[in-house]
Formats: sequence, structure tokens, C-alpha cells
Amino acid sequence: MNSLTKGAKWKALWRQGLSPTTTAVRHHWNKDYKPGPFPKTQEERELAAKKYGVPIEEYEPYPDDGSGAGDYPKLPMISAENKDPFYPWDNPELKRNFGETLHEDFDALTEDRLDVNRQFHLPLWQLVAQFFAVTGGLAALILFAQPFKMYRAAVPPQYPNQGKTHYSFEQA
Amino acid sequence: MGNSVGYIPSNMYDLYFHPEITPDPTEEPTFDPLLGFPNGRKAREMKVTEAEMVSAKLPLKDRDYCAHKLIDFRACRKENYPFVVNCSHEKHAFLTCKYDDFVIRMKEYERERRLRKKRQAVQSQKQLETIET
Repeated sequence: MNSLTKGAKWKALWRQGLSPTTTAVRHHWNKDYKPGPFPKTQEERELAAKKYGVPIEEYEPYPDDGSGAGDYPKLPMISAENKDPFYPWDNPELKRNFGETLHEDFDALTEDRLDVNRQFHLPLWQLVAQFFAVTGGLAALILFAQPFKMYRAAVPPQYPNQGKTHYSFEQA
Repeated sequence: MGNSVGYIPSNMYDLYFHPEITPDPTEEPTFDPLLGFPNGRKAREMKVTEAEMVSAKLPLKDRDYCAHKLIDFRACRKENYPFVVNCSHEKHAFLTCKYDDFVIRMKEYERERRLRKKRQAVQSQKQLETIET
């Protein structure tokens, strides 16, 4: 097969022209995804902020504790649920714009995943109290009803091997 | 006989508030089964032996006085499969037997209840006589 397509230029072109995409799709990773090293000087910080499109006042990298984030900026956690659904996003499904710098855990903040900014309609202690009020109320009802047994008025089932004679109601 | 389902709540009430005259459904009858039958009663007859029931692989809960009907029904099903609708006669016979069995159990319960009521009435009558004399 290789010998048949050996002289074909389109093969080399296809390989060359699509190489970053092909690599990313085939191997789920691309060397361009890797962040730079942790910025130590002010110049490195400014360069990194420019690279990621973040204002230098807001730029703050992740702590250099070996997690491998490098110079990637520490962005606020805003889940997709909390973003404006009526804003004309370039990608409405993910609620993101083209070229937008993403949070490092962006895959966990989409609409089908976490909603880290969720606000309940009541304080948490009230919700917990409601839960225990309902379950405790049901448990109290069940415990109260324990001594009252409903049953069909009949003696226990009669089996021939119980060591006693069972009688029908016909006269012998 | 009454309605065995409709009286379920009142059974609950009676067992809790009048346990002396209401028999517990989990306990066997306490009176002599031949009390009040001068000619005796016909004993219930087991049509199949234990060995036959073991051979037919009947579950323990089905080894009652209807076991022979159940064995017939299962044999018919096995012979007629997949046309098991031909076994409607055997099925009906088995279910009728189970129904009659339950009727006997209900009658035994009601007998126990009435005898207890009668015993209580006799005892209170005796107490009344001792107070009067």
C-alpha cells in the first residue's frame, strides 16, 4: 500500500499542513498546550500575562508547588451556569468566546458538570433543618405506628408436618 | 365470612385495644379443636407424601394441603409447554384449593375469637353471681 501512494504529494502535504491538529486529535495533547515555566522576575510575569491576555494587575500564577501549572494564570472560578445565557457568545454551548483564556479546570465548570457559584434560595442550615424535619417526621410516624399491626383475620398457614392434626369444618 | 380485606383496620384496632378476646394472627389457636363437635371433625388429608414433594422440588412454603394440585398444575405445564393455556383447568383447581384453605384458616380464627368472647362472658357472669350471693 505504501508503495502505491509513494509518489503522491498529497500525503506529505496532508501530514505537514494539518500536523498540529492531527497531533492534538490523535494524541489528545500538543506541545503548545504546555504552559511555560513559573515566572520568577517581573519581566517574566509581564511576558506571561501578555501571552495569556490577562492584565498584569490581575495576573497571578498558581503556586509553584509541583502541580505543573507553570505560568498559567489563576482565573476566578466561574461556572457556565453562572454566565449570562443571553450574551452573544461565540460558542453558546460552552458559553465562551474565541481566544478566551480558560480556567485551568474549565472541563469541570461546563453546564453538565459543577456549578461552583450556586446560590441556594435559603440558608444551608434551613435546608438541612427541612431535610431532618421531613425525614424525622416520617420516622416518628412510623415509630408511632409500630405497635398497630394490620392483618387479615386468619390463623397461621397450616402445614401437615407441624406435628398436629388440622381439621376441616365438616362433621365427621 | 365477611370481607377479609375490609376488616383489616378494625382488626388492628381490636388487637391493640382488646387483646384478650382478639387472637394474634401469628399464634396458633388455643382451644381444643374438637370442642363443640360432638361427632368429631373431619381431619384435613394430605394427598402426597413428603418424598413426592421433595421429588417434585416443591418450595417449603408450597408443601401444604394443596401440594397435590400444585404438582398436577406444574406437570401439566411441563407437558403442554408452550401451550400452557391448556392447563387452565389445573390452575383453577389449584387456586380454588388455596382459596378453600384460606377460608378454613379464617374460620379457625373466627372460632377462636368467638370462644374467647364466650369464655369472657361466662367469667363475668360467674363474678356477678358471686357478688349477688
